[in-house]
Amino acid sequence: MTVSIWRAAAPCVLLCSLTGLLAGCGGTNRLEVIEGQFPVPVMVKAPVRLGIYLDEDLTNFVHKETIESKGKWEVSLGSAQRELFNNLGTGIFEDHRFVEGTSAPQMDGVLKPTIREVQFSLPSQTRSKYYEVWVRYDFELFDKAGTKVGQWVLPAYGKASEKDFGNKMSGMQAAAIAACRDAMAFFSLNFQREKVVYDWIKAGKPLQPLAPPASPAPPPAATGAPTAASANAPGSNSPGPVVASASAAPTGRQADAQTDKQADTPADTQTDKGGQQ
Amino acid sequence: MTETNGKRFMRLIACGVIASTTLLLGGCVTNTVQQVREASTGITDSDSIVVLGRRNRPSQSEAEMDFLDCVSRNMASGTDAVQVVTEQQFMDALFPWFEPRTAPVNTTDLPDLLSEPILAERIREIGLKYLVWVEGQTQRTAQAGSFSCSIAPGGGGCFGFLTWDKDSSYEASVWNTHTAKTAGKVSSDAAGTSYMPAIVVPIPLIARVQSSACSSLASQLKQFVQDKS
Repeated sequence: MTVSIWRAAAPCVLLCSLTGLLAGCGGTNRLEVIEGQFPVPVMVKAPVRLGIYLDEDLTNFVHKETIESKGKWEVSLGSAQRELFNNLGTGIFEDHRFVEGTSAPQMDGVLKPTIREVQFSLPSQTRSKYYEVWVRYDFELFDKAGTKVGQWVLPAYGKASEKDFGNKMSGMQAAAIAACRDAMAFFSLNFQREKVVYDWIKAGKPLQPLAPPASPAPPPAATGAPTAASANAPGSNSPGPVVASASAAPTGRQADAQTDKQADTPADTQTDKGGQQ
Repeated sequence: MTETNGKRFMRLIACGVIASTTLLLGGCVTNTVQQVREASTGITDSDSIVVLGRRNRPSQSEAEMDFLDCVSRNMASGTDAVQVVTEQQFMDALFPWFEPRTAPVNTTDLPDLLSEPILAERIREIGLKYLVWVEGQTQRTAQAGSFSCSIAPGGGGCFGFLTWDKDSSYEASVWNTHTAKTAGKVSSDAAGTSYMPAIVVPIPLIARVQSSACSSLASQLKQFVQDKS
């Protein structure tokens, strides 16, 4: 009698275990930002020939995150970066080529993008109808000898409506593509207005003075060659770039849009998110 | 006996399918179209038009992509068809000027934008005369009833009654790129009630609210840009 009860119950136990296992594991949601989504910008080209250095951290970039009760997510942005920056370079630089380091003697300088941070949210987390993705790029500009000219940050945002995409994978992918396009759009419109870039181009894209070697003792006062800081000081007659004296902050519509973007950084939604790896 | 029950069940399903097909288009939709003209319009065979959704911010009134596709398709077909550039083609051709956060918000932004020679040239190349910005959405406004289905070794079936109301409300703002001014606005509102009675087989009587709003809006927009209204 006992045996027959167990026999009868066995399929149910098996089914329940399997259901529980599936619900518990959930699997990993892997998605990739695919190529073919990034058009060449229609812009007046900046008078600059730049090498673009995409390091392996960027081209292999995968954002991993575990969201409580929503499973693991892996969003691969790296594989699309080459196409993205190639089209960007074609559209907005006089000339560009990919280089393998931060120096490029045959070009005016080198641009090195980095993805500093990625965040995303699902509609169920924000109680909205949107999949949302935030990407923060850091850009570093080097002169052709590989000395850093400056850097700036570019936050980008993309969203996709739950109504337009049947499942979470396609929705999140669309949002990630939108974020990358947003980054391209803002880079295109603001590149020449970035203070670092504006000043450098205006000064004739000069080589940067080398930073003095680190020394434990304080430098001798008042004599010797001008340092980078003194060369950049307002009123200096040094031929170096006059970073502090030029004024080229983004203005007009782009500046407004930049302000919008800053306001859209994910600080307000982060609290709704689950643990981040 | 089991075979007889099976045959009966199959017959019922067949009847249900026929009834469903017959009544599928049975839902009633009320549609209202309005327009406000601010300037005269006109379009030639070489002019084109694009239908875009407003996507600058997460918004509850962002038009669905399939609705925009539907309006574009309807404008490009039938009598008085006009040349329509798809939203994606347009955004790619004019990248990065019409991305969600770079697109002009008002017609006052247009002159600045069109003063960019390279952009103006691209717009000329695609022959764009009208930009149509669409905002709005379709939503379920009410629902009632209950519905349940069961299955057993001898067959299965559903029983119950469901009803729901849907409301579509869209507004299209038409910008003339030649004059950099608003030509006018066209709105389309549709409402309808769908029913789903189920006696063994569910019989959906779907009110095609969004589809109705789409065809009305597209038809009115065609007349508007051709100045036939």
